[in-house]
Amino acid sequence: MRRYVVAYTATDSGREAINLATALARRQGGSLDLVMVLAESSPYSGAYPRPESGYDAILSDQIQEWLAEGLSLVPDDVTARAHVRRAESNAEGLIAAAEEFDAALIVIGAGRSSVFRRFSVGTVASGLLHASTVPVALAPRGYRRTEPVTRITVGLGNRAGADDVLHVALDAARRRGLALRLLSLVTLDSSDLDAVSRAETQMKERLAQAETMLAGRVTAHVAQGRSIEDAIDALEWDDGEVMLIGSSRLAPHSRLFLGATASKVLRALPVPMVVVPRGYRSSPLPTDNPELSEAPELFDDDGHQEA
Amino acid sequence: MTSTIERAGKAPGGLSRKGLKSGSVGLLGAVVIGVSCIAPAYTLTGALGPTIAEVGVHLPAIFLVGFIPMLLVALGYRELNNAMPDSGTSFTWATRAFGPWMGWMGGWGLIAATVIVLSNLAAVAVDFFYLMLAQVTGNEALADLTNNLPLNIATTWVFIGLACWISYRGMETTKTFQYVLVAFQVVVLIWFAVAAFGHVAGGTAFNALEISADWFNPFGVESFSAFAAGISLSIFIFWGWDVTLTMNEETKNPEKTPGRAATATILVIVVIYMTVALAVLAYAGVGTEGLGAGNPENQESIFAALAGPIMGPFAILMSLAVLSSSAASLQSTFVSPARTMLAMGHYKALPAGYGKISPRFKSPSYATVAAAIAAGGFYTVTRVLSENALWDTITALGMMICFYYGVTALACVWYFRAEAFTSLRNLGLKFAAPLLGGIILLVMFVQTAVDSLDPDYGSGSSIGGVGLVFVLGCGVILLGAVLMVLMYRRNPEFFRGATLRRGVAAEDLADRY
Repeated sequence: MRRYVVAYTATDSGREAINLATALARRQGGSLDLVMVLAESSPYSGAYPRPESGYDAILSDQIQEWLAEGLSLVPDDVTARAHVRRAESNAEGLIAAAEEFDAALIVIGAGRSSVFRRFSVGTVASGLLHASTVPVALAPRGYRRTEPVTRITVGLGNRAGADDVLHVALDAARRRGLALRLLSLVTLDSSDLDAVSRAETQMKERLAQAETMLAGRVTAHVAQGRSIEDAIDALEWDDGEVMLIGSSRLAPHSRLFLGATASKVLRALPVPMVVVPRGYRSSPLPTDNPELSEAPELFDDDGHQEA
Repeated sequence: MTSTIERAGKAPGGLSRKGLKSGSVGLLGAVVIGVSCIAPAYTLTGALGPTIAEVGVHLPAIFLVGFIPMLLVALGYRELNNAMPDSGTSFTWATRAFGPWMGWMGGWGLIAATVIVLSNLAAVAVDFFYLMLAQVTGNEALADLTNNLPLNIATTWVFIGLACWISYRGMETTKTFQYVLVAFQVVVLIWFAVAAFGHVAGGTAFNALEISADWFNPFGVESFSAFAAGISLSIFIFWGWDVTLTMNEETKNPEKTPGRAATATILVIVVIYMTVALAVLAYAGVGTEGLGAGNPENQESIFAALAGPIMGPFAILMSLAVLSSSAASLQSTFVSPARTMLAMGHYKALPAGYGKISPRFKSPSYATVAAAIAAGGFYTVTRVLSENALWDTITALGMMICFYYGVTALACVWYFRAEAFTSLRNLGLKFAAPLLGGIILLVMFVQTAVDSLDPDYGSGSSIGGVGLVFVLGCGVILLGAVLMVLMYRRNPEFFRGATLRRGVAAEDLADRY
C-alpha cells in the first residue's frame, strides 16, 4: 500500500496538508500517516529550575487530542494512522518517518507568513526541500479539496533531469487514468530570442515520447510571459490539478532543492506542487507486466499492496 | 519517543510508546550542565558586590556556609523527584503535600523567583552588551549608554523579547554550545583570578590585602542580619547546582551519575568561587573608594568595574563570558516559569489560557509570553524606582528562592511523613535534611524580610520609608496571595482539590499497585 507521510500540526497548514494527502491517496488505495514532530528535549538545554515534569504528561494528552482531531479530518474511505516522533527538527523527523514507512511522498501545508502569495515556503518546508529523499507535496494556503486529483501538469525545463520528472509524471498519470499536461515556461524578456522556438521543438520531441506511453491523453504547452509568474497566471488550472516539478540540478543526487524557476512557479501556482528529487526512482517492484517494471513510479503501484 | 495511534476507519486506538531514548549524559556532560545552570560568570558579577557589602571579608566563609541549606534541601528534592517523577516541581509537589493553597503559593514563589532572575539576567546582559560595544569600538562613551534610563529599559525589553521568541519557538541550546560556553566561562574566570593575584604579587594591586584565615570564619560576621542577608545571596549563587540530582533517565548510569555529577559540580564551583572571591578581596580590598569592592558603585557588577584594571585589554573576554552566560541562561530560564504556569493553567489554578500549547511549536504559548511581560515589567518598575536595580533584584531574588525552596523542602517532609521513621536513610534524607534545610531557608527569608523594612537596607533604595527590597520581595508574595484569592473566586475547582489531589507517600504507593 502506498503510504503518504503528512506533516501534521493542529493548524490550518496541517489541515491543508491532510486535505491534499487525502486527494492524492484516494482511489489509489493509499494510506496516510499523520506525523507530529516534537523537539528532542535535550538535557543540555540548561533549563533551570527543572521545569515542571508534569508538562510532558500535559503535552502528551494535548498531542493525543490533536492527533485524534487530525484523524477525524480524514474521510472514512482513506486509511490513516497517526504518529508522534521526537527529532532535532521537524524536517528531520518527517524525513525519518518517510524513510521508515517507505513512504511515496511527504505532504506539507504551505507556511503561513505570506499574505499575498498562495505559497510561502516556511521553515519546515524549506528544510524538507533541502534534505528530503522522497518527493514533497506542498498544499497551497487555504487548500480544502479532498476529491481525487483530476489532472497532472509537469513542468519541464530544458535541463538534464527533466526526463526524470517526466517519467514520474507519466507513471502517475497512467496509473490514475488522468490526462497529463507537459509544460515549458519561457520568459519573454529572455535575451535569447530563439528560446521559444527551441522550447517548442524540444516540447514536440517530448510530446511524441510521452504519446508512446500515454496515447491520446497528453497535451503540451509552451507558456510565455514577461515573467514566470505571468506565464503561470496566464494558464488555465483545474481545481483538482497537481503540478510536478523536478528539483534543482544543484541539489545533490536524490536530494530536493528548489531551483530559481521552481521557486517562482511555487509563488504563483494556484494548485498543489510536488517536488521530485533529481534521479528519484521508487524502489523496483515485483510486477507481471514488464512494461510497468521499467518505468519509474511515484504515486501508485499494484505490486506493493501485498508488502 | 515514537508513539503511534493505529486506526482502522474512524476509531483511534491506544497510544503506544516505544523506543524511549536511553540516557546519553555521562559524568562530564552532567557537570557541564550543572555549571551552565549555575552560570558562575553571571552569578559572581551580580552577587559578589552585594555579599561583600553585607559581610565584608567574610565572603569566602558565607559562600561556603550558604551551600549547606542548599544541599539539605536538594537532598529532599531528589527524594520527591524519585517518588513523583512525573508530577513536576514546587507547584505540584507542594499541592500534593499541603493541598491547593500552599501549592499555589509554592508555584507562585517559583514563578516569581524565575521571573525576577529573568529580569536580572537580561539587565546584566544589557550592561555587558554596552560594555563590550565600548571595548570593541574603543569608544568608552558607549559603556555609559546603559545608564541612560529609557535606553536601558528598552534594550532590556529587546533582550527579554528575543529570549522569549527563541523559547516560544521551542529552540534549545545544543550540547556543543553548552560545552563551549562553560569552558569559556571557567577559563576566563580563572584568568581573571590569576591576573588579580599577579597584580597582588607584583605590587600593582589597587589595595592589596593579605589573605587571612579569619575570612573563612562565618562567626566573624558582625550580626545575624548580615549573616542572613549573606546566606540569602549565596543561595542565589548556588541556585542551579541541584539540577543534576534530578537527572535520572537522561544519564548513562542513573544510579551513580547524578550524585557524582553533583559532587563534582560543587567542587568545581567552590574552587571557582573561592579563587575569584579571594582574588577580588586580595586585589581590591573592601574599601569604599576607587576600585575597592566595598565601593557601592562597583558592587552592582563587580566584573564591569574590575576586569579592565585586572585583565587589561583582555577584559573584553570577561564581558563576552558574562554576556554569553547571562544571555544563554536568559533563554533557557524561560522554560521554567512558562511550564509551571502552563501546569497551573492546566490544573485550573490559573485561567485556562495559561494552559495553552502552541500547535506549531509545541511550547507553552500564552505562558511564555506572560513570563516575558512579567519579567520586563518587573525590571521596568525596579529600574524606575531604584538606581541600583540589579542589586535590589538580586536581593529580592535571594528572598524568593529561600521562600519557594523552603516551602518545597517542608512539602517533602510532610509528604513523606508516614515513612520518615521507617529507616535510617529515610530519617536522614526524607525528614531531617529537608526539615533542617527548609527551616534554615524560611528563617533566612523572614530575617531578610524584617531587615529589609529598613530604608537603608541593601542598596539603600526605599519607597515611603520602607526598603525597596521589602516592597519587592514581600510585595510579590502578597500579590501572589491576592491573585490566588481572585482565582479562587473565579474558579474554585482547583482549590477544592478537584483537579490535583492531595496525597501522602505511602497511600500513593498503595494506589499504584
